[in-house]
Amino acid sequence: MTTTLSPSAVVPRTTAQGTAVVSTSPPGPSGRVPTRVRTNPFSRLRVAPMTVFWLLIVAILVVPILLFLLVAFSPALLDQGTEWFTLSAFSEALSGQFLVALLNSLLVGVVTAVGSAVIGFGMAWIVRRTNSATRRLWTGAVFALLLAPSYLIALGWQRLLEPGGVLEIVGFHPTLARTFFYGPAGIVLVLTVKGIPFAYLVIANAMRSLGGEFEQAVRVHGGNRMASLRVMIALLSPAVWSALAIVFAEAISDFGVASTLSSAAHFPVATFMLYNAIQAFPVQFPLAAAVSWVLLGLIVLALLAQSWALRGRSFRVLGGRSRPTMRIHLTRSGQLATGAITLVLLVVTLGVPAFGALSASVLTGLGSAMSVHSWSLDNYARVLTSPDLRDPLLYSAQMAAITATVATLMAAVCARMLASSKKGVSARLLDFVLLAAVALPGIVFAAGYIFAYNLPLMNTLGIHIYGTSALLTLAYVATALPSTSRSLVGNMSQLHESMSEACRVHGSGKLRTWFAVVMPVIARPLLAAWLLTYAATLLELPVSQLLYPPGSAPISVGINKALSAYDFGGGTAMEVLAILSALAVVGIAYLLFAILAPQGWKRLGRTS
Amino acid sequence: MTITEPFSLPVPASTESRGALEHGHRVSVRGARKQYGALAALDGLDLDIEPGRFTVLLGPSGSGKSTLVRSIAGIERLDQGSIHLGDVAVSDGHRYVAPERRGLSMVFQDYALWPHLTAQQNVAYALKRRRLPAAEATKLVGEALERVGLSAKGRHYPSELSGGEQQRVALARAVVGRPSLLLFDEPLSNLDADLRERLRVEISTLTRESGATALYITHDQSEAFALADEVGVLRAGRLEQFAAPEEIYQNPATPFVAKFTGLAGSFSGRVVHSRDGRVAVDLGGDVVFARGSESLGVIDDAIVLIRPTATSLEAATDHPEAASASTVPLNSDSAFTSVSIPAVVLDVAYRGRGYEHVVECRYGVLGGVFDTRPWSRGMHCSVRIDPSGCIAFPADTGTN
Repeated sequence: MTTTLSPSAVVPRTTAQGTAVVSTSPPGPSGRVPTRVRTNPFSRLRVAPMTVFWLLIVAILVVPILLFLLVAFSPALLDQGTEWFTLSAFSEALSGQFLVALLNSLLVGVVTAVGSAVIGFGMAWIVRRTNSATRRLWTGAVFALLLAPSYLIALGWQRLLEPGGVLEIVGFHPTLARTFFYGPAGIVLVLTVKGIPFAYLVIANAMRSLGGEFEQAVRVHGGNRMASLRVMIALLSPAVWSALAIVFAEAISDFGVASTLSSAAHFPVATFMLYNAIQAFPVQFPLAAAVSWVLLGLIVLALLAQSWALRGRSFRVLGGRSRPTMRIHLTRSGQLATGAITLVLLVVTLGVPAFGALSASVLTGLGSAMSVHSWSLDNYARVLTSPDLRDPLLYSAQMAAITATVATLMAAVCARMLASSKKGVSARLLDFVLLAAVALPGIVFAAGYIFAYNLPLMNTLGIHIYGTSALLTLAYVATALPSTSRSLVGNMSQLHESMSEACRVHGSGKLRTWFAVVMPVIARPLLAAWLLTYAATLLELPVSQLLYPPGSAPISVGINKALSAYDFGGGTAMEVLAILSALAVVGIAYLLFAILAPQGWKRLGRTS
Repeated sequence: MTITEPFSLPVPASTESRGALEHGHRVSVRGARKQYGALAALDGLDLDIEPGRFTVLLGPSGSGKSTLVRSIAGIERLDQGSIHLGDVAVSDGHRYVAPERRGLSMVFQDYALWPHLTAQQNVAYALKRRRLPAAEATKLVGEALERVGLSAKGRHYPSELSGGEQQRVALARAVVGRPSLLLFDEPLSNLDADLRERLRVEISTLTRESGATALYITHDQSEAFALADEVGVLRAGRLEQFAAPEEIYQNPATPFVAKFTGLAGSFSGRVVHSRDGRVAVDLGGDVVFARGSESLGVIDDAIVLIRPTATSLEAATDHPEAASASTVPLNSDSAFTSVSIPAVVLDVAYRGRGYEHVVECRYGVLGGVFDTRPWSRGMHCSVRIDPSGCIAFPADTGTN
């Protein structure tokens, strides 16, 4: 309770009830009125919200994964076998078809990483260092590529190239392309398409920070363009190594291509074998956990390779005195060449999958033995009227909205802790947990959830959420939290603590300070984080595939079900509608922001 | 266990009560300790500021001045010790009053304006806790902005204002609520010299008009002397001296205070005469006179700290008049006069009103030696040292 206080002399004393009371001596010259106040009994409990936050982090991020990974060594500990310590799951994971799958994953990962880094570097150079007319097209396309799940890209290509696919129906016989696509090359192609935006963003950001004076110094001291490019590559090597490590980790942990193209091409990869081990009867949790360990080991090796490559070298190139770079003014042939490269990339990465999905969705009888096909919107009408096709879209939209809201709120708290200049032990621990979770493949998350929340222990504890939407939501939040938190840390770091302190000093409490200063300043990044999480959850595959409650299929599962029932038209129409709905949500959200947000909030978004 | 206190220190409810707030809070800090890992930012510091006084805390980086101001604001919590604003303990072993309930204002080094609010809205924010009628609040905000010369830019966002204008908005935000205590955390350090001087005058006049107690921290001694009623010099979390600027300059309590408030240089020597707080120090041939502490006795090793104002240049003579140890009339008061020591000009810098020289003599180097005309580099001269600007300390006290 707060009341207006007191003249000059205020003396604390204690009442019989034990509450601290501030009483006053006679009013002083300043004429302030006396006040008595009580200490807030709830202040003793002010640690409680953070305890709840940590319990949630442990429940959704730490426990499921740790228990699952533990079972690889000690099946008996968690009722999955008789042995208390064994490496037999590892020997199985490193032999036979599992070993083949791991080596395939390794190969695909390395080739994809190199390919993505080379293309990403090239595009970053075109966008950041030249005046290519098509560079703005690419900037927009990158975000579409980031959002497009790998299984949708693979499915788009498949619809075009498969026997009886769109190209055959319209009279082409792409046998050679089909042979190429249904094999390791096709898998690498799709994963490279997914890897390019990661590599591009990492390298382009570093390139933006790299002052132009380094290149100018090479040129004025006699170096030609190639020499300055070599210097630039050397200075950008931290970003290039980051790109390689990130794309490698993304590629070997991908489940979308594994469950679509690689199984169709009979080219097993580790994530699909992991999925099979969990879908097998009886379920082989120790084996799945051992495969997860090996996958994690490969990711750690990639990160170690990155730090080894940069060991002992300083790459501090961003200084207060760095000058902006000059763009290279391309000649006409340069404009044509960069334009052609950009367009080819856009066609391969977005154009073909989008055309495959769109064309398949407006063809009737695709996938069936029918020899007569026609162009119509029947598939869309079926999706909108048939509960089997419509309900997954509605269910996923709800789940995505809930997940995005919870994950963004939690991510804001995480990011605030991580960005704090006074990082305590809890912030360091959180940093480690989130960093480790970023490296965990989604399929390992899902497997951990199945395992942990199916344990008899959970029953004993009265936690009955296995097979429910609640568990699916928790898993979605857990997979979204690490990357959403990371995406907000940068914005939180830019928030000078003095702005909050000024708010406190000028009369606002913690909560009001948050809403008056922190919220407006990070409103746009928060909205972007919400939308990214929404879109990613809407189309999420591995967690959905393993954890969806009976009778409530999310959209990705619904699409797979329709496709496996050879309803290619219905499946692709669902794809298109899901993507359109995500775009509509993004559009509406930004429209509402433009209409409803105060002028100052919008200005910040534009200038930051 | 610390109890977080929910009560508020008062802020005036309306303009009618302005007259009542003729004086700000008395600020009293006792035994303040604050540790960051192994580093003690505050080491048992005591400080008392009388109501309505303008106090400047002066000290180098890491001396604890920021920590002290932030602790008084409530942004930092003390590990030990107490802080009283008026008679209210806002921080002690048992209680901690949140910053928003301390009824104070603060001007930050980086301005800390909220970028999503216009200048007007930034200033108006500080009035929210007074819950004034909208018309009155608008009037006060207008007056505050007008007072800092920004009435035409009220609708501008911080990003549309220059650094000086932003700090003016921050100043208007700080004074508009007529707080009892105004805190300044190196508010001028990000501004250029000309702007700094103009804003310093505004801070001085606005703060004194408001009647609030002011606590200002800086590492710039000229800024401190120009603003302060009292100056506190901090070192390693402790207050070395707290006094009026004149007293600090003329009678620094320690060599550190003397050094931090401006020295031309220092010479080492041995005391050959000591009487009534005056000493004669033999530098090794020449004798200079200085004010010295009572603890300095004859034959003690001493260090003589020389203020720039005590030095002047004159033409070199073949027969320097400097006293030597053998010629000092030990019992004569008239001996405490200026002395002249041969020197060579090392450097000269034009300072507008004249020239500052760096000269070297056989006992060391003196900087900031002023003359209205320039002396060429390498030129032989004599440096005259006036005892009124010389302070002697026992040699083992050091200057660091």
